[in-house]
Amino acid sequence: MITVFTCENDFTAMFSCIHAAWSSRLGHEHVRLQVEPVEQMNLFENYVHVDADEKKAESVIYAINCKISPAFYAQISYCLGAYEQDTLDTIYRVLILGFAYGEHILSMYQYKDITRFLEISRRYGGEAHSFLEFLRFHCIGGKLFVAHIEPKSRVVMPVAEHFADRMPSEYWIIVDDIHKEAAIHPADSAYYMYYLTDEEMDKLKLTEKENDSYTFLWKTYFDTIAIKERKNPKCQLYHFPIWKRSHAVEFL
Amino acid sequence: MNELTQALSINEKLEILSDAAKYDVACTSSGVDRRGKQGFLGNSCSAGICHAFSEDGRCISLLKILMSNHCIYDCKYCINRRSNDNRRASFTPDELCTLTIEFYKRNYIEGLFLSSGVVQSPEYTMERICETLFLLRTKYRFNGYIHVKAIPGAPDELLARAGLLADRISINLEFPSAESFESLAPGKNFNKILQPMAQISDTIAGHRLAIGKSARMERCGINKYLENSIFSDLKLEDKSHTDLMIAGGSLARDLRRPFAPAGQSTQMIIGASNETDLELISTSQQLYKSFDLKRVFYSAYIPLNEDSALPAPGTPPPLLREHRLYQADWLLRYYGFHAEELLSSSRPNFNEKIDPKCDWAVRHLDIFPVEINKAPHDLLLRVPGIGPKGVQRIVEARKYGSVNFEMLKKMGIVLKRAQYFITCQGKMLYKIPIEESFITNSLVDSNRKENFGILDNTSYRQMNLFDDFRLAIG
Repeated sequence: MITVFTCENDFTAMFSCIHAAWSSRLGHEHVRLQVEPVEQMNLFENYVHVDADEKKAESVIYAINCKISPAFYAQISYCLGAYEQDTLDTIYRVLILGFAYGEHILSMYQYKDITRFLEISRRYGGEAHSFLEFLRFHCIGGKLFVAHIEPKSRVVMPVAEHFADRMPSEYWIIVDDIHKEAAIHPADSAYYMYYLTDEEMDKLKLTEKENDSYTFLWKTYFDTIAIKERKNPKCQLYHFPIWKRSHAVEFL
Repeated sequence: MNELTQALSINEKLEILSDAAKYDVACTSSGVDRRGKQGFLGNSCSAGICHAFSEDGRCISLLKILMSNHCIYDCKYCINRRSNDNRRASFTPDELCTLTIEFYKRNYIEGLFLSSGVVQSPEYTMERICETLFLLRTKYRFNGYIHVKAIPGAPDELLARAGLLADRISINLEFPSAESFESLAPGKNFNKILQPMAQISDTIAGHRLAIGKSARMERCGINKYLENSIFSDLKLEDKSHTDLMIAGGSLARDLRRPFAPAGQSTQMIIGASNETDLELISTSQQLYKSFDLKRVFYSAYIPLNEDSALPAPGTPPPLLREHRLYQADWLLRYYGFHAEELLSSSRPNFNEKIDPKCDWAVRHLDIFPVEINKAPHDLLLRVPGIGPKGVQRIVEARKYGSVNFEMLKKMGIVLKRAQYFITCQGKMLYKIPIEESFITNSLVDSNRKENFGILDNTSYRQMNLFDDFRLAIG
């Protein structure tokens, strides 16, 4: 019987879950890791919930950094926010291989778990990058910039990293409407993550209704820059799919 | 000419001047990595970032705009030529700076691409452009990407200023030969385009050497494994960089910026004159080799003006030809090909049915199939369906064990094309006869859909009650 270790969708909880599965001594082939909510339970599996524990998470992170390498840790932890159901379990399998063979394991396409990990990692990287492109800020009161995104995965952190470098002396907020989290950046200081309540979400939704005169100018530019003789909506749709357009002002 | 005397709003100016700028194809923000700075706005990412895709499917990365669409020249192919009865407008430097900054803060754009019609004289126009860029970098503290068009005929000192203020500088060559150029652009001189190009190239190399870099621009990493690429016999270090352009005053010292760190680029119009693909691609190769250009852009000519020397208005732009030229251009810069390998005087144009790499491969079946587990970098790169990233992954993976077809698929290798040219551990994917006609027909069939996509512009998709009819739940 397989034991499924489940945890909340949170950085510390995920590493605690890895710790719990590893130290359960059930054998790697008899355990599986999954992030909650578990949508489809199986009669022949045993489900164990793991609470977030900072000490356990830290011990896992310390072991990866010291026994494998910091670069390996950076690659592993980067895509923890990916929406794929098997992300955490794949990372667990990659860690087993990593501890056995070292950091070069990520080039070994001979292992199915590695190819799956690279697939998730690339897709997650692509999704995060697309929000660097298609995210749109609304200016509130001439000073504060607010952006809303609706990603499949939790990408606010990598997106915020980019904007922290790009606009270090501006006040801005990036809101993930799906996962209800936000990156808040006060001018000339570091950004921080904030988990939003429903009330706060409702208030933040109003920011998109603010009248921003440059949005109108942008729409003018967007329409005139297209060459009518080269019209190619299929190509536009391929590069800018509809699910990414929900907050792109030029399409609203 | 319809000279507008009343004051235009910013929106009207934006409409007129972006409409006039849209035929310039370069809109990339690539080539330079620069971190942000406290108190400044913006950074730069060497891979480039696209911010939107317009209705024609082209990416919008930069605010591509003209300073003014007034022009003293009367080039036959140009929408802004003196004799056209267009609405004309000009931005003031401050208007343009505010627009760039406010668009940038909202993440609409990655930077500015500033060009201009020639107002009064090249010198006056270039001075206005430099003034705008100077304001943007100093008063508005903009640290993002700037691509500037150099106006041919402007004094060296102004071009040097522009290079110091911008990230990329470009001069449009427009046509690969002096005859076409002089017949379609009366009043302009072909050598007056090439001379500043050479000077800018020398100045970039000189500045790079001065800060301890090599004189040559950085190229895709795969080039270091290619012995015979077009860049391998380029020896800019040996040239004496005497023809440097120097900005007067203390600009270089005050700005502390490298000279055009993202290099130089140019653009050629295709379909307006009678050049063959071989002439175009050979010119590009020569430009990469002698001027170390970072990019050459190709623009399918859209007939805008009625003139006996040009295709009639309504003629569809040669989009597939443009696509083939871009494919060939990539083969030169990333795959170690030379123009003479792709085309010859007996076959001066690309095959429309099949891409240039497949076309080359079926004509050289004697070197195929190659063994994935043993072939060197340069040979792997010549296989259709395998690109520089694929080669990197194959070479990394085969250090630890043999590579099979399933792994190749996971690495992103396009087996649809590669299957005819490779073996894994001595076996091909299917039993495939190594015959030119069989492989060509199969490749033409798989290219058909892609080619149709470029020529056909209708689009179909599933309608959705929520998106299309704005239906809400509850």
